[in-house]
Parts: sequence; structure tokens; C-alpha cells
Amino acid sequence: MTDVTRVKKKVSSPLSHPWSAKADWLQSATGILLGLFLLLHMHFESSILLGKEAFYQVVQLLEGGIFSSSGHGFPIVTQVFSVFMLLVVMLHAALALRRFPTQLGQWRALRTHMHNIPHRDTHAWFWQLVTGFILFFLIPAHLFTMILNPEIGPHLSAERVYHDNAWLLYALLLPAVVIHAMIGLYRVALKWGLSSRRAALGNVAKILIIYLLCLGAASLITYLFIGSELGTPIQPFVPKQ
Amino acid sequence: MSQGRQLSFNIFRYDPQEPDDKPKMIRYQLTETPGMTVFIALNKLREEQDTSLQFDFVCRAGICGSCAMVINGFPTLACRTLTAKYPKGDITLMPLPGFELIGDLSVNTGKFMRELAERLKLWLHPKANDSDVHRLEDPMDPVEAARLYELERCVECGVCVSACATKQMRDTFVGAVGMMKIARFEMDSRDARTAEDFYHVIGNQDGVFGCMTLLGCQDNCPKDLPHMQQIAYLRRKMAMTLI
Amino acid sequence: MKLIYTDSLVVGAGLAGLRVAIASKERGLDTLVLSLIPAKRSHSAAAQGGMQASLGNTVKGMGDDEDVHFQDTVKGSDWGCDQDVARMFAHCAPKAVRELANWGVPWSRVSAGPRQVIVNAQKVTLQEAQQAHGLINARDFGGTKKWRTCYTADGTGHSLLYAMDNKAIAMDIPVHERIEALALIHDGKRCHGVIARCLITGELRAYVAKSTTIATGGYGRIYEVSTNAIICEGIGQALALETGVAKLGNMEAVQFHPTAIVPVGILTTEGCRGDGGLLRDKDGYRFMPDYEPDKKELASRDVVSRRMTEHIRKGKGIDSPYGAHLWLDITLLGRKHIETNLREVQEICENFLGIDPAKDWIPVRPTQHYSMGGIRTNATGESPQLKGLFSVGEAACWDMHGFNRLGGNSLAETVVGGMIIGKYVADFCENNSLEIDTQLVEQFMQQVQSEIDVLIEGDGIESAFTLKHEMQRIMMDYVGIFRNGPELDKAVAELKVLLERSRKLGLKCKKRHANPELVEALRVKRMLKVALTVACGAAARTESRGAHAREDFPQRNDRDWLNRTLASWPDPDALEPVLNYEALDVMKMELPPGYRGYGINNAIAHPDTAKREQQITEILAELGDDADRYQRQRAIMPFELPESLQPNNERLSDTLTSPSANALGEKS
Repeated sequence: MTDVTRVKKKVSSPLSHPWSAKADWLQSATGILLGLFLLLHMHFESSILLGKEAFYQVVQLLEGGIFSSSGHGFPIVTQVFSVFMLLVVMLHAALALRRFPTQLGQWRALRTHMHNIPHRDTHAWFWQLVTGFILFFLIPAHLFTMILNPEIGPHLSAERVYHDNAWLLYALLLPAVVIHAMIGLYRVALKWGLSSRRAALGNVAKILIIYLLCLGAASLITYLFIGSELGTPIQPFVPKQ
Repeated sequence: MSQGRQLSFNIFRYDPQEPDDKPKMIRYQLTETPGMTVFIALNKLREEQDTSLQFDFVCRAGICGSCAMVINGFPTLACRTLTAKYPKGDITLMPLPGFELIGDLSVNTGKFMRELAERLKLWLHPKANDSDVHRLEDPMDPVEAARLYELERCVECGVCVSACATKQMRDTFVGAVGMMKIARFEMDSRDARTAEDFYHVIGNQDGVFGCMTLLGCQDNCPKDLPHMQQIAYLRRKMAMTLI
Repeated sequence: MKLIYTDSLVVGAGLAGLRVAIASKERGLDTLVLSLIPAKRSHSAAAQGGMQASLGNTVKGMGDDEDVHFQDTVKGSDWGCDQDVARMFAHCAPKAVRELANWGVPWSRVSAGPRQVIVNAQKVTLQEAQQAHGLINARDFGGTKKWRTCYTADGTGHSLLYAMDNKAIAMDIPVHERIEALALIHDGKRCHGVIARCLITGELRAYVAKSTTIATGGYGRIYEVSTNAIICEGIGQALALETGVAKLGNMEAVQFHPTAIVPVGILTTEGCRGDGGLLRDKDGYRFMPDYEPDKKELASRDVVSRRMTEHIRKGKGIDSPYGAHLWLDITLLGRKHIETNLREVQEICENFLGIDPAKDWIPVRPTQHYSMGGIRTNATGESPQLKGLFSVGEAACWDMHGFNRLGGNSLAETVVGGMIIGKYVADFCENNSLEIDTQLVEQFMQQVQSEIDVLIEGDGIESAFTLKHEMQRIMMDYVGIFRNGPELDKAVAELKVLLERSRKLGLKCKKRHANPELVEALRVKRMLKVALTVACGAAARTESRGAHAREDFPQRNDRDWLNRTLASWPDPDALEPVLNYEALDVMKMELPPGYRGYGINNAIAHPDTAKREQQITEILAELGDDADRYQRQRAIMPFELPESLQPNNERLSDTLTSPSANALGEKS
């Protein structure tokens, strides 16, 4: 009897919708997933700083080189993983859209509010909003490239960066994604009370942003140098035996 | 006592009941006296310079929550804000955003809070029907009582509402004050409501799942209430109710 | 003309007013509350320390009961109170505390086992009983024999008000906020409601009701420096006074609290001293034991305030640009205690003084704090002169405080008085019909309307702000802690001049809607009349009793002054009130006048005192030894209460002696 009335209540009350809880939870979960992935991704990709050899090994390892007879891995792994990440990103973006000021009035209210009552965490969120909007376009662009042209390697990646002018994309993507993800991880930790040491978390986020930006920029520049030294047509990197 | 410095007040003026009036900022000069608060300054301005200036004070001791306004970009209680805090002597006063404006610096927080209380049923729903007042009271864990009081310290000043960008964008959002009160009753062992009952009230986009953890509430609360922990606690609790 | 009808109309949404409204609504009556401000902002919220109720749960409260609470209250009042009312109050206080626990107040609770406290500057360890664990705790307050003050940290009033207003919201009681009552509608015999003005739109409304309850608090703001909220301006008392019929009681009885901070006059709770804080002079010397070796800092408020003033007059105060002050030292309580139990005090010190009370001493001096006087009512809370007019809380002179109120008894009065009087108000509403004489209503509406018209359109030149400041200064200078004939006469003369000038008030702001200057003007005229009742009452009373201390008449004079001052204002054009006196009948007292326990015992005795003492001895002898304390009390001074409030209060000590509790006792 009570169950029946409870169900009824749920349906009849416009305020409570089980989806809002799921959506909030899912947004946080996908956010954490993406954020942690970014941390790994940035480190894998910057192994180029340790030399072409290092990067080559990392790529082969991640593409499942140990399972291939040649030890060269399967680019399809990259493709499949990129499709998966694209789905996660889409889900995250769709959920985050709930937060976007969808009407002009809301946008104005936000701008006025930020002007009248300056507040650090609100500004941080605003930057997440802006970077999120940018990422909405840039991440699919990045992932589509990886799906269509999944070959990764010291020379192939450098070709993409230098000769195909993808550095432009990465130069925009890098700060946007780093800022968005690190502020996001900071906020999600506080949001669910995973930690209440806010000042410490804030410092960690700040340090990570600077660190990742340096790391990413250094790798990007390295690729530009490698790319500029390569003659066309590009020959894939072959490690010295 | 030496002659005090000149303070310059830049005050929002608007009387919505005056048909031709438009919102504007007006500057007033005032000589600072030792220990001057914004409460003292505003009263002096009203008495000496413009008797029509509207603002709200009641206890003037930081207890009643009447006098919240935005002072140089910070929403806070005007009665306990010392003018000495501003080395440049430039003080801008704006009414608290997010509430119905009565005039100048006066906003209708009372109406907002009453409506919120009615909407979220912010009162104790006792388990037993009023137990006998002639008999010994039911014991309560002293630690629980102390914890409840910590959350009870909210003075409904409205600062958390005005400092919340989410609330400013979405009018139906309950804001920190509503959630803090729900958390207070959720923790109260005398309250009969279950987590599920609370879920129906705030387990939604206008409630705890609409909060984006911008923490304007916590950073500006004049009573230093633990909004961050409490809202996170509620969010976990409400999410768990679902699972 | 906007007319609003209801059964039970309450003016003021503080604790007392809301409690009456709840009592009315509980009986199914249509109930409506008017308030200047949102209910939760009422001055009740500022009561920090706690409320007295003889629960006797803590070990230092063991042995407490209604009798002890009653005796403390009567002694505290310097025998000026109505003993019937004090009895009603003491009997119902535990019920009110328990009721509020049911409504959500998180009373601080007793923890079983050892507890370290500071008593007389010494660390003492109390051992709380196992059976008391989780029951409502109490702290020490001035002028009480037992630890009796129930509290929630130092935000008791706040917690109580929030619980009470939440209850009112749950019961769907409407509170019309930002509405100011400006006149009572009456026909000389019966009160029919109020004429009120909306502070936002300026609209005048007539609220017509069966009963009108004034619960607007005290009149502290007739003084320049007061611990009171700025809305405690005595307008409720003025409403009654301006009927010309209803009378105000003991208006000269004004309490000065020993420890308000300098210069702003914000209160630091008596809990500071109750928990072990000390008063020190400019040499850092603890001076109170020299004056009051027995109760020291925890003597009754009026006594401590006077001793502090005496000490300052001896040159022992600390000089400041705002005059001399003394120190309140709570550093010995330790940071942890301050940050949990005296948090509001800490916040006030930080925000208004820029000091840390765990490290620094707090500059304090006695400051106007409480109005014992108010609208005179009988024991049911009704005005004896104007039927249907009730008053409760600080606004009233129900008269449980006489000439001095004990700390913790004001918060208690609001909820206990509200509980008792609320029932009588409901009875009244059930037994009387709504009488609507539109002509009468219109007449009062017209009167208020023309008062406003004259202020806005007239050619008056006086400034409301100036008059108010002058009145406040006069009250400070001449009607303070110590009073004397020449100064009081001067006060009366100067206030009369101000009252005359107030008839020529003019406004700079001519708005008819939200207009703070108009509000000020309407109030200052009324405040001046209230101030005059205080000054005239004080000038006429040639004795010292409780908080009314005459330097020229230092003795309490029961022979000539064991009475209650009644002030009324029958002629609206007069410049001073008419005073008459209501005798307190010694032959009906449970506790005949005696020595209060402070200073030298030099009271001039009442001729009936010895007779009554003899009579009481005889009554008790007749009862025999096996009569319990209830029977003995009833035999000496029977008192009435609504039936539902009559049962005796159960205490921990009762359960401890019962056989079932013995088992528990063995365990501990």
C-alpha cells in the first residue's frame, strides 16, 4: 500500500525526478573518468620528451604490441578507444548541458552577478563553462582525426602536428582541456565530499594546471621540431635494433 | 580625538514605487568616527543628508540577519562591517541580489524565507505526537544536540542566496539556506521524515542536484556555516536513496 | 478603507507573540500576527544565555524545584512582583522547555561522567549522573540558588525563536510582515483591534479582532545606549497608553545589564559570568568579592551594575574616548569553551572590538537592557481596564519581575507567559463575539490618517531625529542606574518640552509609501510619552527597589512603597501621565518581604510583614508534618492555572527515588 502511494508521489511531483540524481552522478563519474584519462594521456604523449624511442615503446605497448607478432601493435585499438572516449565525452557534454545558461536572461544574470559579486570559485566555474564550450568542438575534432587516421608514432604524430598543422588544434585544446579537467576534478571532490580539504585541493589543481601546461607545451614544441626536421614523404619511425 | 578621514559612499538608490524613478548610484561624503560601522554610517547619512534612504537594521549586533547587503562586492552583514576595513575609504553599497527590492538597500528576505520554509516544510516533524510536557523529557545524545545547534546558527540573512550564481541563473533553485535546513532536520533524531521523504523535496534539479558547488554560500556566510560538507553529505545521502 | 477580520490578533512576532498565536490556532481560532520585521528577526533571537526552568537534571541543579525558582524570582524582584504570577510562571517553566524540545530546540544536554567547570575562578570537576545523560542541561546565572538556566550554547533565543516560528509556519499562521500598529481601536471599555500601516506601501489597514495581544517587547531605545534591538522603542506600550484607558505598570523599573561592550552597547551574555568569567578594574583587580563576598560576579544584575558604577566612580575604571569602563575576563574559561559555548560572544568581540576574548579582556559597562515595566495586565494577561486587550512578554507588566528581573527569566517569560496567556486569550476568543462598529473603526482610521497628513503636508519644523536624540540623552543622563530627585525633575521638565516640540514635527521626505522619516516621526511622538511615564514614575517613587536606585532615598521602603506604579494618559493634550498606585497585599504573599541578601539590610518594613509571617507559621503548623510541598504551598497561597497546565512536573530526582530507578542507580 505504502509502496503504491510512494510511486504515485514520485510521478506526481515535478520537483523530484530520479533522473536529476542519476544525471548529477553520471556527470561527475564521466568527469572523473575523463580527468584521470587526461592525466595519463598527457604523460604517455609527452614521453616524446624522453626521445623517439621512448615514445615508440609507449605507443606499441598501449596498442597491444605484446600481442602482435611484429611487436607493432594494432592501430585499431586506438580507433576503438577513441570511439569509446568520444561516447564518454558526448555523454559528459550532454549532462553538462543542463548547467549551461540556456537563455539569454540566464547568461546576463550570470555576467551581472560575476561583476557585482566577484568570487573565485564562481570565476573558476565560468572558465570551465567557457572551456567546456570550446572542448565541445575541439575534442570531437581531435578524436575524429584519431579515428580516421589512427597511426601514432614519433614521426607520424610529428607529421600530423607539423605538416598537417594540427599544432593549431593542440595549442587550443591543451589549455582548454587542462583547465577544464583540473578545475573539474577539484570541484567534483568537494561536491561529493571526497575530501573537504579545499585549500589543499585548490593548490593541487593549480600546480597540476601549470605542470600539465608546461608538459603539454614542451611535447608540442618537440613534435614541431621533429616535424620540421623530417623530409617528405614521411617514413615511420623504426627503432634501432 | 583627531578629525576622522572622509569616507565616500557610493549607494544604490531606487524606489520601485516611484513611477519615474530609475536605478542609480549616488555618492555621499561622511566623516569617519572611531569604531564606525556601516550601520552607524547609514544612519548618519539618513539623519543628516537624505531622510528617504531605505535600509534594514534590527539587532545591529550580527544576530538577526536583517542587514545583509553587498559591500564593495561582498555580500555581508552591514551592522558588523567596520568602515576602517576599507583603507581607501571608498565604500560601495548595493542591495542583496536575488530578492524582491523594497527600495534602495532594503530587500524582502522575510517573504523569501517564509515561502522557502513552506515549500520545503522546514520544521520538525516529530516522531511521536507531542510527548507529555509534564513528564521527563526524552534524552538526546549531547553530541547530536551540539551538532544540530551548529547548523541552527543560520540567521536567514540571504547572503548565501545572493552569492550563488546558480540561484541567480535559476530562480527555482532552493539555494544553500534551504539545503542547510533540510540537512539540519535530516540529522535530527526527533524528526520522523526518512531520507526518501527528503529526496522528494530536494532530490532534484532545483535542489541538491542542481547545486554546482560554486561555494559562494560557504565563502560569504557571516556565520561560517559548513555549507560545503553539509550539501555534499545531502548529495551522497540523496544519491544513495536512489540506489 | 481596508478592513481585515480575525479572532485572535497578535501584534509582535517574537517568542511571546508567536506562542500566543500558536495557542490560539491550536484551538481552531483564526489567528493573525503583525510584525515590523520578519518573525525570525525579532529581538527574542538576541537572548543568548538561556531560560530558567527548574528541571534539576545537572548535578548542580539537583534539589531544584518550583519553590526554589519562585523564591529566587521574588527575591530578585525585590518583592515588587506579583507572587501569584511568579508561581504560575515557575510552575510552567519546565513544561515550556519540554514543549520546545518537542518543537525542535536542540537544548544542550547533560553528558554523564566528569565535567570540568569554572566556579569562583577555580577549576572544579562535576560528576554528572548516568541517569541524567542526554537530559536537558543547565548553567549558572546570577541571582539563582541552583544551576537552572537551560541553554543551547549561547544562541538560546535564536534556537527558541526559530523553533517557535517554524511551528507557526507549520500551523499556517499568517504573519503580516513590515506592518506597524499605530493605534488601538477601542470604545473605552473593549479593545477591537488596531489601525496599522504597511511600511512598504504606506497603506493604512484596520485589523479588527476579538482579542488583541500586544507582544512588542520593551522600550530600551528611549535610552541612547541600549543592548536592545533598534526596534524596541516602546510603541506597544504607547499604543496602550494612548487609549487613555489602559494603564502601564512600573515603567520606572528599567534594568541595566552589567556587561555590554563599549561603546556600541552590544550585550555579552550573563553566561560569561555564569560559566566563570570575572570582572576586573583598571589594575586588573577582581573587585566584586569586595562588594558582594557571597555571590560576587553572580549577584543579581541590578546589584552588579550598581557595584560596577560605584567602582568606576571611585576612579577604578579604564578611561576611553567613550567614558570609563571595566573589564570582563573570560580568558580563564579556555579557548575550547569559548569557541563552543560562547561563540556569539566571540564573534561580537572579533567583529565589533577586533579582540580575541580567549586572549584579551572585554571592555564592558552597565547598559540599559530590559524593561520590567509595561502594559499592566492581570494574571490572565488581560488589561484590567480594557477588555480584549492582552499583553505578554517584555511588553507587559504581567509582573513576575517586579523591580528587577533575573537573568534567564525574560526568555522564560516569553514562552511560559505565552503558553499560559495564550490559553486565556483563546478562552476569551471562544467566549466573546466579534464586534464590528465600522463607525468606530473609521474614526480611529481617520485619526491616524490625519496624523500622517499633518506630518507630510503640515508646516512643522522640528526634526524627528533631533528630538529622538535629545530624548535618549536625557534618559541616559538623568534616568540611569543611580537616580536622584533634582535630576529626575530635570528629566521630566525637559521631556515635556520635547513632547511639546513633537507636536510641530515636519518632514523633509514627503513620500506616503516607504518613508523612513515618517516612521521615525510617528514613533518619536509615542516614545516621548513612554519616556515620560518612566521619568515621572521614577521621580515619584521615593525609595530604592531593585533596579530603581535613588541616591536620595537609598532604602527599600515597604511601608510606603510596596506597590505598583500605574501610569495612564487620559488627556491626549496633557504633557505628562497620570500616576496612581496599586498596593501589593502582604497578607496574600507566600513570601513576605525580607532581606534580599545584598549589602546592608536597611529596608523599612511593612506593618503587615510580621503579621503575615506569623500567619504562615500557623498555617504550616496546622497542616502537620506529612503535608508535601504542594499541599503546603496551596495552603499558603493558592494560585490558578488553565487546567491543562496544572499537573506537577516530573523530575529526575522523582524517578531516582522510585523503585524501578534503583536498579539503574546500582549500575552507575
